[in-house]
Amino acid sequence: MFLPRIGLILGSLLIAWVLMWFTQGTGVVQDDPERNIAIPDELTMPLKIQVAYNDEKIFFRYRWPAEAAYVYHDMLRYEGGQWVRYGSPPIGRDPNNTYEDRVTMLVDDGKVPEFARYGGYITVGANPRYFTDTAAASEVRQHPHLGEKLGASDVRKYLPQTRMDIADWRGVKDEETLQQQREAGYFLDLWHWRAGRSNAIAASDDQLIAEHRLGDSGRGPYTTNWDSENNQPAWMFDSEQVGIDALNWDDIQANRFDFDGLYYLAESFAKPFDPDHEWQEGDVIPRRMLREPSGSRGAISVAGGPARWQEGYWDVTLQRALDTGYPLDDKMFKTQGEYTLGIAVHRDSTGSRWHYVSHPYQLGLSREDTEVTAHHFNGEQPDWSDDWTEMTLFYPGQVNWPLLVSDAHAGAPDIEAGKPVKPRHSEKQLAIYGVEIQFNDEIISQWCKTLVLGLFLMLGIWFGLDRLLQVYVVRKTQGGA
Amino acid sequence: MSGIHAMLVHFPIAFWALASLMIIVGALMQGHWAQLAKAGLLPVLILGLLGGIAGMVSGWLVWPADANLYSPLTRNHLLMSFWAFGIYAVVTALVWRYRDLVFEGAFRWAMLVLALMGGLFFAISGTLGGHLAGSPTPFSDLLGAGGWTVYETFYVPDWVLVVILILAVASAVAGFTAKTRS
Repeated sequence: MFLPRIGLILGSLLIAWVLMWFTQGTGVVQDDPERNIAIPDELTMPLKIQVAYNDEKIFFRYRWPAEAAYVYHDMLRYEGGQWVRYGSPPIGRDPNNTYEDRVTMLVDDGKVPEFARYGGYITVGANPRYFTDTAAASEVRQHPHLGEKLGASDVRKYLPQTRMDIADWRGVKDEETLQQQREAGYFLDLWHWRAGRSNAIAASDDQLIAEHRLGDSGRGPYTTNWDSENNQPAWMFDSEQVGIDALNWDDIQANRFDFDGLYYLAESFAKPFDPDHEWQEGDVIPRRMLREPSGSRGAISVAGGPARWQEGYWDVTLQRALDTGYPLDDKMFKTQGEYTLGIAVHRDSTGSRWHYVSHPYQLGLSREDTEVTAHHFNGEQPDWSDDWTEMTLFYPGQVNWPLLVSDAHAGAPDIEAGKPVKPRHSEKQLAIYGVEIQFNDEIISQWCKTLVLGLFLMLGIWFGLDRLLQVYVVRKTQGGA
Repeated sequence: MSGIHAMLVHFPIAFWALASLMIIVGALMQGHWAQLAKAGLLPVLILGLLGGIAGMVSGWLVWPADANLYSPLTRNHLLMSFWAFGIYAVVTALVWRYRDLVFEGAFRWAMLVLALMGGLFFAISGTLGGHLAGSPTPFSDLLGAGGWTVYETFYVPDWVLVVILILAVASAVAGFTAKTRS
């Protein structure tokens, strides 16, 4: 009579364990656009990089897999007599294919020492845009520096020392200190290639991270094509030059384009918008107009003409003068110099924080003791060999610097002690943490219940076995066991 | 505290590993070694529990409470530690009350399963502890191959919790409905 009952008890334990094993981690993590949460299908992706330089310029070549290229960005569609915008920064993936692919690279020359140890994490401050606890646009607009001076309506990347309190984006240090920081090199150079807003004219944006994500001085590679007074585009295609008045919504929906054709509007073939033109339902005019960049902001360009996506890979080569002559905007490269790179990729029609980022990597010019080596060459263009540095990029989720240096992070004392992240956390680990932190309260609650119910099961098993042994003892005493 | 915790947890690991081995010997073998295993089991289990308490208390003090709960790896380490402690507490209580009787008849299989489950839990807890201290082992990869990436918090959905509750009650009822007379 004991065997079936013991079998039931042990069966309960084994069934519970098997059930828990195969259902663990389910039931909590899911997309929640209202909280700015969208989980990408893949949490990591590969990237390969090569770097070379001649006496004048440095060249960075990036190659990464992407199922498709997304080059359309921020479009105005004519519908019902109105020009309707498609391409505001999406939560996760843009269903309309109106958000471009990008590769971005942060560069430092040692003046921002935490960057070499923790990479882009140091630039993610409190309440950044598209976090669940993002700062209210109205509050940012009213901020004397960010809103009133810089014209910002959201909190973007910033460096820790630009704030009086690391956990408060509002406490920007005074103008004089910010200027002194910049002159001391306390900023990160940001190379920003966009498949829609710069690549078509073989340009790249050139920005920097200081107290905010700022543009370098000069003119950027695009401008906004919108006449807010009349609620219509400011520019349209000049059909006499290019044969079309507008793009077609069906092509955008199908993500159909030709790298040699027109999928963008540029200053060189645009003309002032004509509201009296017979616009058709589904006509599309890009909300961004490309233009030749200039000054410090135009220092980076695409080597060899616009980059292409083919056979499942983007292959982008950017070039820039070793010394741009703008020391307050750019990090200059010198032979035997060592630099830190942090690279990020947007793919699959995503924007803002839905990118894949790298750990910090050390770059050396003609140095063999760094993770990435830039080789010197003579001539105009590098003769790329097959000598790539391979990286794994990861989705960082909603982890910010204030969290990492707080008591909630077990590694905070290590950060304080200056221990780097790379030997400690793999890309996969950081990606998973980045996802889970978005559901931290829910997961802790479910984890607590799992822990307690597991112990309750053991209690039940103990009650059952104890009682059976009691019965066994009685029967044995009675001689009947 | 991290170093002290690392030192202290070796005691429950050693005692529980030894206890599991003694249970295997006691359940599956006969003769001198089986008798020896049964005779020495209770003190080893008690020492294991005491070591477990010391390990858990010292472990809780390694990081601030927030950090213990914010890290998926720490959460998993805590969960497996509590479960290992729970299983060995059950074994200890049964051996305490019934001594060698737990190895008689079909009860030996219950002891064997509990010992193996406990061993699995403290092995997982131990490897997660190593991970937290910066020394991951291939055992984590083995768990990953089995379907659980240790960086993901181990929790189950509500419906599974309900099933566990039912199984817990069923286990208790299986004992309480047994009658002293057949």
